Amino acid sequence: MSHSRNQKWREIGVLISLIGLGLIMVSPLIWTVMLSLKSNGELLRSTTNAFHPPYTGENYAAIMANSGVFRWLLNSALVSSLQTVGVLILSSLAGYGFARLEFPYRNQLFLIVLFGLAIPEQAVIITRHQMFADLHLHNTYPGLILPGLAAPFGVFLMTQYFRAIPKELDEAAMLDNASRFKIFWKVLLPLTLPAQATLGIFTFLASWNDYWWPLISATRADMFTLTVGIASSQINFAQTSGLGYLMTQAVFASLPILIVYIIFQKYIVRAVAGAAVR
Amino acid sequence: MSALDIRNVTKAYGPTTVLDDISLTAESNEFIAFLGPSGCGKTTLLRMIAGLETVDSGQIHIGGQRIDELAPGERGVAIVFQHYALYPHMTIRENMAFGLKNIKTSKTEIDARIGEAARILEIEAFLDKKPGQLSGGQKQRVAIGRAIVKKPDIFLFDEPLSNLDAALRMRTRLELAQLRRRLKATMILVTHDQVEAMTLADRIVVIHGRKIQQVGTPMEIYGRPANRFVASFVGSPPMNFLPVTISGAKAVATLSDGTALTTDIANLPESASWELGLRPEHVRVSDTGVSAKVEFVERLGERTLIYARLSDGTAITAEDVGLSRLTMGDEVHLSIDAQAAHLFDADGRGYHAETA
Repeated sequence: MSHSRNQKWREIGVLISLIGLGLIMVSPLIWTVMLSLKSNGELLRSTTNAFHPPYTGENYAAIMANSGVFRWLLNSALVSSLQTVGVLILSSLAGYGFARLEFPYRNQLFLIVLFGLAIPEQAVIITRHQMFADLHLHNTYPGLILPGLAAPFGVFLMTQYFRAIPKELDEAAMLDNASRFKIFWKVLLPLTLPAQATLGIFTFLASWNDYWWPLISATRADMFTLTVGIASSQINFAQTSGLGYLMTQAVFASLPILIVYIIFQKYIVRAVAGAAVR
Repeated sequence: MSALDIRNVTKAYGPTTVLDDISLTAESNEFIAFLGPSGCGKTTLLRMIAGLETVDSGQIHIGGQRIDELAPGERGVAIVFQHYALYPHMTIRENMAFGLKNIKTSKTEIDARIGEAARILEIEAFLDKKPGQLSGGQKQRVAIGRAIVKKPDIFLFDEPLSNLDAALRMRTRLELAQLRRRLKATMILVTHDQVEAMTLADRIVVIHGRKIQQVGTPMEIYGRPANRFVASFVGSPPMNFLPVTISGAKAVATLSDGTALTTDIANLPESASWELGLRPEHVRVSDTGVSAKVEFVERLGERTLIYARLSDGTAITAEDVGLSRLTMGDEVHLSIDAQAAHLFDADGRGYHAETA
């Protein structure tokens, strides 16, 4: 009796601590949202009254009034979506190849892919910029999308995932008269859906939040992604004189991401917990 | 024309030869069991028939047609895998239909075949479930169902019962025997379980050391083992082997303590040494006979197994009645039925009485 009562108190204690930690983590976000609803003039006087009325939508109106913002939203959506689809297709095909096909220098090639994981973007950015300039790909969608398609993590993840699927399934399908592509498409690929979801979410988020490469590649305002566009529209001394507007930009830029998080919450938790494999 | 004809087939992985010059035929509607210890190559042979392993040399024919160069799906075989290999994301119905759809079978025909197989295997209730929702035994039935709907020339079973618990294994074994009678098809079973092989197969192929050791009916394998390996591998508990000296036209085997046993075995060749092979059921505890000391007693209910040691130190397993009062350390006498004995020469070749 007392044992189960102790257990109950312990659970309540854990719950309260978790709620407390959750509030601490979410408080900057709530603060950001509240600040975005304040007028810049009021914030210039004091930033401590964020949780008291009056509230205003003037910052959101100002963002909407910016003629470029919907174009940047579309650019970001297009670049992130296409990059995600591309990474999923290429990583799945490569992963299947590394996991299931016998070909010369397979292990060496896989090692090269793994090396890709260890090379930071900063190390290749100048040569990449030069290459894209030579190919006249700056200020184009391919220019924004292509670099993200080289996804060593995706190839690695999918290879490991395909390897974990029993080969007996391939063999059963071979005896069921399925072609190699059909085995890949109808039997194995559906089984990798959890990994696809994980990879897809991470790719989409990384692409949406990417700032550096779009900043280098897109120099024309109509080719800006949302991150670059919003940053470009900031007035000088934004932190002091335009704090409300700045916070509104942050909210606006992170809304699509928030929606992705809410829809795919289950997969994200699994991915982060490292328990994505079945 | 044989249903299956394996001709001089050899298989090696790198420098390691797994199967060496294997030849075998199976008649139509025959149930053959490949029996052997783990790693003997029996599964490799089955996989070569299915097309999941290449054949290094030799040929395999099914129904008179050479198939070892055809794709697995074109060979007219269906395999039931050890771990079922059901497609986890498809329903049972989709699992069974997948192979038929791939060869463009009409929908009505697919439905009819699935209905028929489901009825035979009593899996109608699961058709719209996924494999993950089924128990091991149910998955096994579905795996068999997936093979049945293809109407193959030959069914291949790769240790199909090894994943089931003891009670279910016995039931499924019985069902497999009934299924076999109903389907009237050629079947090949790979197993390391001699009980499965003995109870299901028309003929058993004992494989060991890259070679076929013996092909025969279950009782031939048990009663007239071709060599010492077959004699020791088939039968539980295993056969006793006692060193003996041989004399006379009808061999008289003399144990080391001087006990002479007159066997029914005649016309023995010369050999440097001989061993007498005795099944435990032919060595019984009695008032007279060879003396031995009991080392361990195994009470099985209907009979008692006595593990004892002869005066020269040779281990021997004998049988006693179910209510045996023997305990460890007892001195006993063992009566040996020499008429049922086997003899093995220095090379391990077996010799048996004509009537055995």
